[in-house]
Amino acid sequence: MVLFRGKKKSLAEQTAAAEQHFFDENFREELRNHGRWYFEKVINENGALFKQDLDATVAQINNDLKEHATSQLDAALAQVNNELKEHVTKQLDEKFAEHGQAMKDAQDAALQSITSGAQALQQQHQQLAAQLQKTIAEQEAMITSAFEENKAQITKMRDTQGLALQWLAQSVKALQEQHQQLETALQKNVAEQESMLVGMFEQNMARIIEHYLLNALGDQYDLKAQLPSIIKQMEANKQAIADDMKL
Amino acid sequence: MNESQTKTHADFVLPPNVVTKIDVSHLVSELERIDDELTTASVRAQTGVNVQVTPTLSEQLNGFLVQNQITLTTGPQRSELIKQLRLLKDSAPIIHMTFAVEADRESLQLLAQWLRSSVHPQAVIAVGLQPALIAGVYLRTPNHVKDLSLRAMLDGGHNVIVGELEALRGVS
Repeated sequence: MVLFRGKKKSLAEQTAAAEQHFFDENFREELRNHGRWYFEKVINENGALFKQDLDATVAQINNDLKEHATSQLDAALAQVNNELKEHVTKQLDEKFAEHGQAMKDAQDAALQSITSGAQALQQQHQQLAAQLQKTIAEQEAMITSAFEENKAQITKMRDTQGLALQWLAQSVKALQEQHQQLETALQKNVAEQESMLVGMFEQNMARIIEHYLLNALGDQYDLKAQLPSIIKQMEANKQAIADDMKL
Repeated sequence: MNESQTKTHADFVLPPNVVTKIDVSHLVSELERIDDELTTASVRAQTGVNVQVTPTLSEQLNGFLVQNQITLTTGPQRSELIKQLRLLKDSAPIIHMTFAVEADRESLQLLAQWLRSSVHPQAVIAVGLQPALIAGVYLRTPNHVKDLSLRAMLDGGHNVIVGELEALRGVS
């Protein structure tokens, strides 16, 4: 309606009016929406592309960084290795030199000590040898004197032994005589004792037998066992018994 | 009992189990007891109390009655029997026999039998004990003594033993 309001209006105005007529609020809104949609689409597409580019770039950077870091690290490690090797070699050389010196000092000291010990040992050996010789000489003198003394004593003992043997022989002879006398007396005594004992034994023999019989038969020989013997003896005396009953 | 009325103590036969004078005394006392029981029973019977009395007899008395065929029916019979038994007890010849060991009843019965068959039909034994006899018997009759013991034999043999020993010694 606005487009047809003033025919007299300029083209620009007419265009503007036409524009106003075509581009009403809804159309504008539609356009804005379309523009917004398009913008969003473009933005999204550009975002996706940008994201892809970014990812690729990041991956590239990562690889590059890794390579770079690796190369840097290898170089640093090689350098450190070289430095460490040199340092360790130097230190070891120093220590070896110190130890070699110390060992040499110790060897010198030990050699000196051994030499002095050997000298002392030799001196002691000489002293001991001298002392031993002296002792042996003293012992020899002592043994000789003891031997002489013992020899004298043995001679003296031999004389005494001879005297003792003589006395012993006399004693043995006397003892033999006494023994013979004793034997004779003992034999006589034993014979007397024997005859006395035998005499006593004979005198008491009957009593011993009686006693033995009394002990042996006392409780075991009962009347039943004795009965035949008793009746036999009574039978022998029957007449005398019967006569006595009749009196 | 009719026969027994005529029997005196001299006619009695003693059974083998009556051995000693004490046994004869037991017979007398037992007879007296039985007589008392029977007399009492007869007196009670006279008074009207009827009591059945069956006296218990010992083996010895029973043997004596059987051996001599005697019954104890009446009081006078029993009294006479007691009297005769007392006489027998006093008159029976006693032989004292001393043994070395305790005399058992069976052996004594055998000895009594022998004595009654060989010496006197009414002989009784008085038993003694003397272990020193060793064995055998020491016999004493009213007037004599017979030492039939082993000890007496050994005493007699003493000289024999000594002689034998001297013979064994030989040389001495």
